Amino acid sequence: MSAIDTAGVDTATRPPDATAGTFTASGRRRDPLWRAVALLDVDRRRFALSALLGTLALGCAVALAAVSAWLITRAAQMPPVLTLSVATVGVRAFGIGRGLFRYLDRLVSHDVALRGMTTLRTTLYQRLATGRPEATLAVRRGDLLARVGADVDAVGDVVVRGLLPATVALALGVGTVAAIAAFLPVAGAILALCLVLAGVVAPWLAQRAARATEQRAADARARMASAALGLLDDAGPLAVQGRTDTELDRLRAADADLARATDTGAGPSALAAGLGNLAIGIAVLGALLTGIPALAAGQIAAVELAVIVLTPLAAFEATSVLPMAAIQVHRSRTAAARLMALLDAADDGSGTATTGPDTTEHRQDDSTDPRPDPARTGDRAMPRSADQVGLPARGPVITARGLAVGWPDRDPILSGLDLELSPGRSLAVVGPSGIGKTTLLLTLAGFLPPRGGDLLLDGVPLADTDPSARLERLSLTTEDAHVFETTVLENLRVARGSTSAQEARDALVTAGLGDWLAGLPDGVDTALGADARSVSGGERRRLLLARALLSPAPLLLIDEPAEHLDPGTADRLVGDLLDRSDRARGVLVVTHRLAPLAAADEVLLLDGGRVAARGTHEQLLAGNAQYREAHAAELIQS
Amino acid sequence: MKPLDPRLLRHARAARGYLALTVGLGLLTAALVIAQAILLAQVLAAAAHDGAPLSELLPRIGWLALVIAVRAVATGVQERYAHRSATRAVAELREQVVERAARLGPRWLAEGAGPRVVTLATRGLDALDAYFVKYLPQLVLSATVTPATLVVILGLDWISAAIAAGTLPLIPIFMILIGQLTQGRSERGLTVMQRLGSQVLDLVAGIATLRAFGRERGPVTRVRALGDAHRKATMGTLRIAFLSGMVLELLTTLSVALVAVSIGLRLVYGHMTLVDGLAVLILAPEVYWPLRQVGAQFHASTDGVAAAEQVFEVLETPLPVSGTRRCPDLSTSTLRLTDVTVRAPGRDQLAPAHLDLELPPGGTVAVTGPSGAGKSTGIELLLGLLRPDSGSVEVVAADGTAVPLADIDPHTYWPQIAWLPQRPVLEPATIGSLVAGGPASASGPGLPRRDEAAALTGLDTVVAGLPDGWDTDLGRGGAGLSVGQRQRVALTRALLSDAPLVVLDEPTAHLDAAGEQVVLDTVRRLRADGRTVLLVAHRPSLIALADRVVTVRAETVPAGSEPAEPDAGRGAPDPVAPARSPEGGTR
Repeated sequence: MSAIDTAGVDTATRPPDATAGTFTASGRRRDPLWRAVALLDVDRRRFALSALLGTLALGCAVALAAVSAWLITRAAQMPPVLTLSVATVGVRAFGIGRGLFRYLDRLVSHDVALRGMTTLRTTLYQRLATGRPEATLAVRRGDLLARVGADVDAVGDVVVRGLLPATVALALGVGTVAAIAAFLPVAGAILALCLVLAGVVAPWLAQRAARATEQRAADARARMASAALGLLDDAGPLAVQGRTDTELDRLRAADADLARATDTGAGPSALAAGLGNLAIGIAVLGALLTGIPALAAGQIAAVELAVIVLTPLAAFEATSVLPMAAIQVHRSRTAAARLMALLDAADDGSGTATTGPDTTEHRQDDSTDPRPDPARTGDRAMPRSADQVGLPARGPVITARGLAVGWPDRDPILSGLDLELSPGRSLAVVGPSGIGKTTLLLTLAGFLPPRGGDLLLDGVPLADTDPSARLERLSLTTEDAHVFETTVLENLRVARGSTSAQEARDALVTAGLGDWLAGLPDGVDTALGADARSVSGGERRRLLLARALLSPAPLLLIDEPAEHLDPGTADRLVGDLLDRSDRARGVLVVTHRLAPLAAADEVLLLDGGRVAARGTHEQLLAGNAQYREAHAAELIQS
Repeated sequence: MKPLDPRLLRHARAARGYLALTVGLGLLTAALVIAQAILLAQVLAAAAHDGAPLSELLPRIGWLALVIAVRAVATGVQERYAHRSATRAVAELREQVVERAARLGPRWLAEGAGPRVVTLATRGLDALDAYFVKYLPQLVLSATVTPATLVVILGLDWISAAIAAGTLPLIPIFMILIGQLTQGRSERGLTVMQRLGSQVLDLVAGIATLRAFGRERGPVTRVRALGDAHRKATMGTLRIAFLSGMVLELLTTLSVALVAVSIGLRLVYGHMTLVDGLAVLILAPEVYWPLRQVGAQFHASTDGVAAAEQVFEVLETPLPVSGTRRCPDLSTSTLRLTDVTVRAPGRDQLAPAHLDLELPPGGTVAVTGPSGAGKSTGIELLLGLLRPDSGSVEVVAADGTAVPLADIDPHTYWPQIAWLPQRPVLEPATIGSLVAGGPASASGPGLPRRDEAAALTGLDTVVAGLPDGWDTDLGRGGAGLSVGQRQRVALTRALLSDAPLVVLDEPTAHLDAAGEQVVLDTVRRLRADGRTVLLVAHRPSLIALADRVVTVRAETVPAGSEPAEPDAGRGAPDPVAPARSPEGGTR
């Protein structure tokens, strides 16, 4: 089981409301933990088996206590040895049974939880992959991974560490109370009360303590983390600026606040621990105070007194884990709330996109090697290449008229935009950083809804087109596109599953990665590390470009293909892209370099939330001072 | 791994008091456990065997109640201070490790153990909480309650004591045996689990990309298959990991059962009194209880102990000895790098290799070279944040005396430098006090100068667009401003500072053409003011401003000269390539 708690540090999301507070009306009323647990789709029979095994394990402990108490007090009455034989066998059997049942219980319960986590993770992937695109786009990558990783683990943990211990404690408590009450009802009642004290009140206090600490510590923890990160990330600049000591003081202050916040929770937590302990003692005292008069009154036998006094000592083992279980439930609920918010954001109003569970028709035969192989497994959804489909000569057209773009629930950042992209046409979009170029691309590709105006694909509003048909016509490469932890070739096959090794090599050379490819130990079959950490920034961009070039879609939308490259390479690359000799494609490139834009049919200069100027490179040079100055600045040579 | 590392007590003062308290409470608990068992046995035996009435037993029941109450209080106190000390000890270790790591410098942080420190400081150390709250008290109890109860049992009934003493050593022996048998398997299992887990996350991280190509549905089956494979691998590991728990429980419960049976058989023949029998029966589980808890909490505590060990490793890394000599005035001194070479971490590369650089007072020097050649490393050398593997870095005073930078007290050197790293680092303050270098000088005669500088860097338009103008509080890291805007703040500050040396690392990297113009104007102004300027630059426009251009080159370490990992050089640029590749042809 994973005990990683990665959720604590960075939970901020880009649009503030993307992962929180967007419950649907029906979801708001339901506890997110139960919704998440329902998605685990826990096998009831396995859960019952696990609960049974757990109860048997602890039942053995209780029985061991009861039977040995009986054995010893009975033995002191010096009966014939044979009358004790059943008890002596029973004591040994219970001694062995406990460990054995506990082992089986742990195996079954973990299996149940892991199955549930796989189901939840699959459901989550499926609904994120097919739901509203902006739900995942709005979440930072680290947060998304924390949801699918640690948060799913936390929801699974509630089965093993929360629900099962509670079920076992309930079954065992009822059983023990019933057994004691059979001897002496009032002793049973006292035991029941004490079990409630240890198994309900103490866990409630512990959970309250954990919550109080968490709430008060959250702010201090965030400040602590940011001070520590700042000190470590910017160690050099801080030293040179002479600010290392100031920042260390800031860290100390945050840590002191954190300690104070912990203290607020320590009180209830100490009370919970003391109460749990006290409950055992009260149960024993209660049994003595009621049992001794009952013995004197002849209501119970002498051996039974020993049993009702000594059995409770073992019965509390089941409740001793419940305070931790209560804290686990709280943690899991917090994780579940984040998960459900993400799912709700993905599901909201998704009409066309959701699908049922994917059938296993194209399950891989290489189940022994479960490497992620996004390209291969995606064959069914793969768009046919352009020539196969036999597109009309003119090909698809994206038309925007008076288009406004922006993130949902925020003001549009760009409006009044007109453009037309069809095969054979090349457009360049330039403008200062933060103007909304990437948002525009996401909207044109249908991943964000238009915020105004018309956006048509072949005359049909883009939002009404079938997503798969849409993606046969256009493909988007964002600057943060993912490089998978697999081979170079498989990474390129994400764009087109049928890509051959030779086509891959050609695309890499076209993207300016010929030298890089030559240096790879296994050529296109070289595996790339996690998130392509072994690839430099510029190489990564060009790899993404090669992938875009392999896409069968006739319209390409490409974000900043040339960043992290020196000016010469960057200009050559963007120029080639805009001036493809075959002209079978339409290309829209977002870039910050102006020099290569002579190759574009039209350049759109964005500024101040609108198109500030448009025309060919030459027209803009002649007619727009801003463009001319920027271009001149770029051209100053040594 | 040691159960209690003396270094923990040495480095975390909060841990010392806590350990003393825990030991004290552990001794008290041992006494209470024994008192409770004997009182209970006496009362029970008197009532069950001798038929004593309640009234006669009440005094002892009263004592029993007192013992129970004190035990509850002791448990509460333990818990109360466990959390408190854990938080404080973690804070102490965190502060020390962050401070040490920060002083070890950016290069150390970027390689080897460095990147781990971030996780360690923000999250890893929190695992020590379980160690302090759950593991350590049980460890102490197993050193107090276990022997004390064993001694009492010995006094009451030596046969039961022998059974307990005979089984106790079996516990560690079996644990170690199983541990050794399973270690290899579970480590392999763990690797497989982590790999499968990271592959699912890789697919999730790529959802947007898969969607962009319409390939998002296929991986659903892959996610499920990976999940199933992950479960099978995990269960394989757990089946073995839980074995040690089973052996522990089996041994402890079985020996309690054996003790009970043996007492029973001796009672039948009158070889023992009921009081002693009951007392031993109640005490027997207490012998094992702390040990079982130590076993149960062992795994929860290992993460914390491992984190603490990593912290000690960092704390024991020696700091480079910093110099003590006063730095000469940089406005009249020359900085000189002679034949400086640094071996790049983890690569068979010297970056920079044999770099010569002279920065005369008032001069403007541009450093260029392909990425990975060691330009930023060169800056770190010059700033004294890194010592070269070979070659010398010196400050040559106006009178010609050359002082090695390593001998100079950095606190007399750094205040003379304004450094703009690639990502500007701004302290939380208002823009006005940021650019002026402090609130005192944010008004008065400095204002016209400030406005002039802001007009040059374009900060004036940024400030004009902010509701609070110059009084806008940027908070940590310049929240609310874009990278470009923060860069303008940093440029303005550099212009207004009196530091004779200004170092700009790729100042145009994140800027469009208009932003680039601002940088060019600023550098021209710095030159005109007679400041010494060092630029790391890609763009020709910026390079054109320099008096001289120094090209940094990397070199591959000659094969066979040092042991090298077979694939360590993969992906590293060929040092000759820049000269003949097309991108080298721009100049």
